[in-house]
Amino acid sequence: MLSWSISRVVTIGLNTFREAVRMKLFIAMTILAMCTLASSFLFREFNFGSSELKFIADFGFGGMTVFGSALAVIVTAQLFYGEIEHRTALTLLAKPIHRSEFVLGKFFGSWATVTCFLGMLSVCLVFVLWFRETSILEEYPDEFEGGRRIVQYGEIVWFSVVQVFRIGILCSVVILFSTYATSSLFAMVMGVLVWIVGQLQHIAIEARGVVDNLILKSVYAFASFALPNFHLFDVGEKLALGESLPSSVYLKLFVYAFLYSSFYLAVASASFNRREL
Amino acid sequence: MDMTPAIAIRGLTKDFRVSGSSKRLRAVDNLSLEIHRNSIYGLLGPNGSGKSTTIKIALGLVEPSVGECEVLGIPSTNPAARTNVGYLPEAPYFQRFLTGRELLKYFGCLSNVPKEKIQKRIEYLLNRVGLEDAGNRRVGGYSKGMLQRIGLAQALVGNPDLLVLDEPTAGVDPVGAAEIASLILELKKEGKTVLLCSHLLSQVESVCDRVAIMGRGRLLMEGSVDTLTQEEGCSSMRIDQVSSELRGSVEQLAKKHGGLVSSPSRSLEELFLELANKKDER
Repeated sequence: MLSWSISRVVTIGLNTFREAVRMKLFIAMTILAMCTLASSFLFREFNFGSSELKFIADFGFGGMTVFGSALAVIVTAQLFYGEIEHRTALTLLAKPIHRSEFVLGKFFGSWATVTCFLGMLSVCLVFVLWFRETSILEEYPDEFEGGRRIVQYGEIVWFSVVQVFRIGILCSVVILFSTYATSSLFAMVMGVLVWIVGQLQHIAIEARGVVDNLILKSVYAFASFALPNFHLFDVGEKLALGESLPSSVYLKLFVYAFLYSSFYLAVASASFNRREL
Repeated sequence: MDMTPAIAIRGLTKDFRVSGSSKRLRAVDNLSLEIHRNSIYGLLGPNGSGKSTTIKIALGLVEPSVGECEVLGIPSTNPAARTNVGYLPEAPYFQRFLTGRELLKYFGCLSNVPKEKIQKRIEYLLNRVGLEDAGNRRVGGYSKGMLQRIGLAQALVGNPDLLVLDEPTAGVDPVGAAEIASLILELKKEGKTVLLCSHLLSQVESVCDRVAIMGRGRLLMEGSVDTLTQEEGCSSMRIDQVSSELRGSVEQLAKKHGGLVSSPSRSLEELFLELANKKDER
C-alpha cells in the first residue's frame, strides 16, 4: 500500500502556486485591485478630514473581500479543472499519488495564491492609509487627540487573516464542484452561487426560526448547515471603526473555516476518487 | 528475476455510461492478456478498439467494470501499482508554464526520486532525449516532436521497470522516430518492460517481441510478431549465402513437387488491415 505523503501534497501545491503566479489573469487582477485601492487617494478631493481614513479603510476592506473572492473562484476553477480539461491530470495521476493528495495539493496551491494576493492588497492598504493619515495629521492636527495616529494598522492585518479563512472555504467549495464538473465555467458559476448564498445565509438562519412549513424549515435548516455563513467573516465594519475584536472571535472563525473546508475537501476527495479520467 | 508478469489482465470488461441515455458503451470486452517482464509488447488496433481504455485501466485512471488488472503484481486500482511505472500519454499535454527542467523536477519529485539525485537524473535524461539545449525553455513553446521527447524523459524520470508509451512517435520526424525506436530497444536491454501503442506498424514490427491486436474492445489476435506474420499453410525457408545456381535448383525442385515458391511472410501492416477489414465486414 502506498503511504499518504505530505511531501507530494506540498510538491503539487507549490507547482499550483507557481502556475497561478505565472497566469496573466493573476497579474492583471493584482494590478487592477492595487489600482482600485490606490484610487482612494482621489478621496482627498472631498476634504473629509479624519473620517476620510475610515472611508478608505472601508473601501479597502470591500476591495479585498470582492477581489479576493472573485480571484478564489476563478483561479481555483482554472487550476483544478484546467488539469482535467488540458489532460495534464492524466500524466500526473499516472504517477504514484493518491487522488486525495492531488485534491489537497490543488487546494493549498490555490489558497496560497489568494493569500499572497490578499497580503499584497493589505500592504497596499496600509501604505495608502499611512500616507493619508500622515497628510491629514499635518492638515487637521485638531482631529487627532494628542497628535496620536488613529488608524489601528494591526487590525488591518487581522482583517486580512479573517479573509484568508473565508477564502479557504470558498476555494474548497470550488474544488468540490470542479471534481465532478464537465467545464470550468460550471465550477465557477457554482462557486459564485455559494459565495452569494453564503453572504445571505444569515437570512436562512433567521427564516428557519420564523417559518412553520416543515419543508421550508428543512430547506432553510439544510442551507444553514451545509452552506457556510460568510457573513460571519464581515468584521471589517467593526475594525474600521477602530474596535478591536477579542482573540476568541478569531479562533472561532478559524475553527469554523477549518471544519467547513475539511468537510468540503473530504467530499471532494471522495468524488474525485470515483471520477474516470 | 521476478517472474510475475509486468501486466496481467484477466476477463477485463469496461462499460461506459452514455450521457443522456440508459445505454452503456462497451469499450473493452472480456480481455485477457499477459505482458512478460523485460519484453516489448505492442498493443495495436484501430481507433475506438479499446487500447486507450485498457491502458487507462492499467494506470488506475479508470476502474474496470468486470475483471482484474494487475501491474507488477499489484492491483491497478492501488496507487502503489504505479510506483514503478512511467507513462507517456497520447498527444502529451504538459504544464505549459514550466520549463523542460522544471517539468522533469516536478515529475521526479512525484516519482519519489531522491532530492540529491534529481538534478543529475534531469541532466542525464535531457541529454538522452536530445533536449539538453531546450531544458530552460518553457514547454508551451516546444514543437510536437520536442513534446514527445520531454514526455519520454518524464516517463523515465523515476527509472521505472515498466513503461507505457502511447504513440511515442506521433509528430516526430522519421529520424526522431528511429531514435525513439532505438531508445526503446536500449530500454529493453536495461531490463525494462515496454508496452507500446503505435500506429506506426513497421516500427512495432521491428521493435516488439509480442503483439496484441484489438478490435471493438476484443482481443483479435495475440502472439509473437514472427508467429502472427507467418501465413497459414506456408512454411518459410531462408537460404542465404548460396550461389544463384543452387538457389535456382532449390526453387525448381520445390516447383517440380508441386510447391509454390513465393515470399511466405506478410507484413504486420497487411495483417492489421486484414483484421480491421474483417471487423468492418462483421
